[in-house]
Amino acid sequence: MKFSHRLSAGLLLLAFLLPGWAIAQGGTSSTATGISRLMNPAISLNTLLLGQTSRDIDTREANQFNLQEMEIQFSSVVDPFWNADLIVAVHPEHAEEEEGEEAHGSHYALDIEKAILEYKGMPRGFGLRVGKDYLNFGKQIPLHTHNFAFVTAPIGISAFVGEHGLTETGAELAWNAPLPWWAEVTVYATSATAEIFDDSSRDLAYGGRLSNLWDTSSASTLEFGLSALTGPGAAHEMDEPMGRWNMYGADLTWKWVSGATTGGPAITFTNEILLPDPEHKEGDPLGFYSHLQYRFGRQWWLGLGGSVARDAEPGHEHEDEHEGEEEHGLRTIRQLKANITLAASEFSAVRVGVHYDREQDGDFEDLGAYVQFNFTIGSHPAHAY
Amino acid sequence: MKRTNSRKMSLKILWALVACFLIGGSQPAAAKVKVVATIADLGSLVQVVGGDDVEVTVLCPGEMDPHFLPAKPSLARKLGRADMLVYNGMELEVGWLPLLIRKARNPAIRPGAAGEVDCSEAVTARLEVPTGHLDRGEGDVHPEGNPHYTLDPRQAVLVAHHLARRLGEIDVDNAASYKQRAATFAQDVEERTVSWRAETAVVAEMPVIIYHRTWAYLVDFLQLDVMGEIEHRPGISPSPRHVQKLIEEGRQRENLLVISATWDHHHVSAEVAERSGGQTVVLPAQAGAGGGAQGYLEHIDGICRDLAAAGKARP
Repeated sequence: MKFSHRLSAGLLLLAFLLPGWAIAQGGTSSTATGISRLMNPAISLNTLLLGQTSRDIDTREANQFNLQEMEIQFSSVVDPFWNADLIVAVHPEHAEEEEGEEAHGSHYALDIEKAILEYKGMPRGFGLRVGKDYLNFGKQIPLHTHNFAFVTAPIGISAFVGEHGLTETGAELAWNAPLPWWAEVTVYATSATAEIFDDSSRDLAYGGRLSNLWDTSSASTLEFGLSALTGPGAAHEMDEPMGRWNMYGADLTWKWVSGATTGGPAITFTNEILLPDPEHKEGDPLGFYSHLQYRFGRQWWLGLGGSVARDAEPGHEHEDEHEGEEEHGLRTIRQLKANITLAASEFSAVRVGVHYDREQDGDFEDLGAYVQFNFTIGSHPAHAY
Repeated sequence: MKRTNSRKMSLKILWALVACFLIGGSQPAAAKVKVVATIADLGSLVQVVGGDDVEVTVLCPGEMDPHFLPAKPSLARKLGRADMLVYNGMELEVGWLPLLIRKARNPAIRPGAAGEVDCSEAVTARLEVPTGHLDRGEGDVHPEGNPHYTLDPRQAVLVAHHLARRLGEIDVDNAASYKQRAATFAQDVEERTVSWRAETAVVAEMPVIIYHRTWAYLVDFLQLDVMGEIEHRPGISPSPRHVQKLIEEGRQRENLLVISATWDHHHVSAEVAERSGGQTVVLPAQAGAGGGAQGYLEHIDGICRDLAAAGKARP
């Protein structure tokens, strides 16, 4: 990110924060100022601090203690017609974001992760949202970082859509289907600016999700979802530039929460498969993960996870430019993760864990460990089930 | 020609089926008012006031701590078909109800709609309303005061009248019936209050430790003598030091009684009672908890009976 961009980002952040601070500090009545603090939005801040070390990767990024992400959230009723949610995220710049410069821990990038208006006047069973948000695809992609089961997204997802998921601007229509179980159909049309799309194209991305949930007992549920997404394919990734790029997914989650005791045992078992279009003619890329989370004490969680990504080898777009050079095939990376979390309250948690990544029939191997501190201040809305 | 007519007929049937499918899912109840109550106590009160004119569904079963109900979408489905949502308020359900309301996509129960009923509006004597400094260092404190008012039958009477008024607004034909049932309930509570207090008089003479502030309103109603709380910061596990301090204080008093809810961590209550020379009693904090009675009056009957039994069994 260039200095001017950083400055703009900083000023934008200040513009959000200062008015609220000024109003909060001011003792003048709203009659005199024309501003009532009662109308202020609910404001919260979530921060993730991450210390990590790697046996096999010697970059600063993989061996440091740093701010992983900070999210500032504003939520409010706008007027009789709309509710609004806004999330601004700050995270360290990645090497690629610095336009070739070496990554530096003190430089941060600012993202608008969410800027959503939700219309309140829809008929029963329907919902309409307009704005920018994570695409409603599968279970992992819509999650904000502080809600991940592990400190990073599973490689079966991040290999295809990046560590920060997919945020786009558009409109989403949802419908609660009148079936004997919970069934929600969501369709959306959005911009196509993410890396996986051809951002020079004027075409939109379109997607949909069908989510079903059954109460398997008074304490447990089974959720099954199907997702699809199509958008303009990035020219360098397509055999035919400007074609459509498609991705399909399915997910299955079983949850059990003992209601007998406050903070009693609980299990969440999540499985998700991602089937993107191939970047080349040969092979079928695939992403998969399986996460098991178990609450074994009022404040303690244990997490186990496995993930597989079968995707194109990095650097293929450069190689492909050389005429006559053989196209690269697919590589398979497997990932195992384990963590333990101490959540002393709903607003703070400490998590330690390990991960092991290995490329099948390849050289890449990495064993790493981490500690993450997670805290929330302010009025933060509850997370979805 | 015949083929064209047949095709037109098929299309008409298809459209009719689609229309039935769409309309069928959003058709409001013709006879009974569909009421969804967030907690079991309120469900019982709605049933008392609504009688046969309402169909009541409870989101949080009595055996679950209503602070921490998982916001299952299947609960949003129940809300999606409701004509009225009755909730406790004072942020008791703040961790899950806003999510469910959003997910339900039901204009009839959205904030500000005729079908949205916050029962805390009827509560006249809120307890533990913070007046000075307040932050999360004090635990899961409710800024609008302790929300467990349904355990005070006097407040339950006010809630019943409130429910009668609100039900009467959306079901005008039965407004008089709602009002009459609320009045009858008030009379029942008045009559039983004498016996409830007489029955638990023995406990009012005992020092009491409560696990969570769930019992604040019951304590106020029965005039119990609370000397401490195991969860000294609400929602936060008690520290060993605090538990030890409670035990030492408990040893200074005779006939100590430790009260906890069915969903509390009983091993801590048991340890405090055992090492202080006292006894424990586990009570249903919501109607139906621990296999207790579903009806509100019977629920309070059961609590008083269990307390009285503990009082009589004191060492």
